[in-house]
Amino acid sequence: MLRASIESEGGEDDLRSLTDGAAAADSTVRGATTLVPFVEATLRGDPTEIAKARDRVRDDLGSASLVDAAAVIGNFERMVRIADSTGIPLDTPVNVATSAIRGELGIDGFEAAARTKPARTWQRALGRVIDPIAMTALKWRAKRGAKSSD
Amino acid sequence: MTASPDALDPAAGAAPFEAAFRYEAELADPVRPDLAETHRRAWARLAAAGTWWTGEERIAIAAESRAAVDCAYCRERKTALSPNAVDGRHDHVSGSVLPEAAVDAVHRIITDATRLTQSWVEGLAAQGVPDTHYVELLSVVVSVRSIDMFHRAMGLACEPLPSEPRRDTRPSMKRPPSAVGGEAWVAMLPSRKPPGENADLFPGPAPFVIRAMSLVPDAVRWLKELSQAHYLGMDNGEMFDFVNGKGPLSRAQTELVAGRVSAVNECFY
Repeated sequence: MLRASIESEGGEDDLRSLTDGAAAADSTVRGATTLVPFVEATLRGDPTEIAKARDRVRDDLGSASLVDAAAVIGNFERMVRIADSTGIPLDTPVNVATSAIRGELGIDGFEAAARTKPARTWQRALGRVIDPIAMTALKWRAKRGAKSSD
Repeated sequence: MTASPDALDPAAGAAPFEAAFRYEAELADPVRPDLAETHRRAWARLAAAGTWWTGEERIAIAAESRAAVDCAYCRERKTALSPNAVDGRHDHVSGSVLPEAAVDAVHRIITDATRLTQSWVEGLAAQGVPDTHYVELLSVVVSVRSIDMFHRAMGLACEPLPSEPRRDTRPSMKRPPSAVGGEAWVAMLPSRKPPGENADLFPGPAPFVIRAMSLVPDAVRWLKELSQAHYLGMDNGEMFDFVNGKGPLSRAQTELVAGRVSAVNECFY
């Protein structure tokens, strides 16, 4: 989702900040250097640290963005536990499409990765063929959405 | 009169919580009205009977989800090589309202979810927590957790839990007949538009994460309602807008926050 949204905005995807907070400095996502520490502080739970991180997001992106970021944190604190507590595997299309990037980011090393069968060789090959087509389709859809909301 | 929670009018149900989640009184930052309203409705759902647990039990589950954060036994177990390597007792707060296994499940979902296993989930049934009850328990835990984490992020104290359950409601105890096992640790509805009264859950093929709690259809409805307010609507096309987020955040900023939360939690999904 992050990759698709970055590419839809015409940016270059640098997803390292997902698994390495320090890499937020290299992210093309505006505000990454304040949003990522805000997430990390909130999950660690120290109120003083959270307050400082909150101030930085507010200064950088504004109050309304701060509130929305807090809501997204809440949302995914819910979603991760649903996935981990029910033992759902990755959906096959996502498994195939994200196979390479998961390996690069180290996500395949997470304990829960064992619940999903690795994509087969032919699936990975198919994924490499389909990937650029899928990204083009997403960008096209994003442009259409942007035009219709003008 | 006894009503199934399916029949609850969320607006009427939220009325007793009119004074709750009044963010405008505590925050200078502008909280969208739909966010506060969704939280009030969540409290109404919490206080009412669910499909399998009573309102009293659901409030107890919520209370345990908060107690888990500071539970010494959970802390010790989290640092152990295996969660089964440590004996002890949770710092629990709900007296004898819940079976011991339910208390353990709540605490583990909050503090050590990545190390849950299929055999542990399946073993809960013999301890008084069948799959249906487990799924509903999970929906209560994660709903309260998501709202509490919003509060933590914004520097707010947790909203007090409902002081009284709704005693005019009782569990409907309806297991969807089309739920089947085999794809995950719990039975789920198949990935196609569900029949009959559950047709609203998803319009067609749905990803695992939406179907995960479909053994208790109201858990999916609650999930969709919270997702609509916290992130994006699950079936109104917002998910396919890769430029805009819910409000001023772009979709990329939204997904960066989402992805970092998932990675810190070591969530593979």
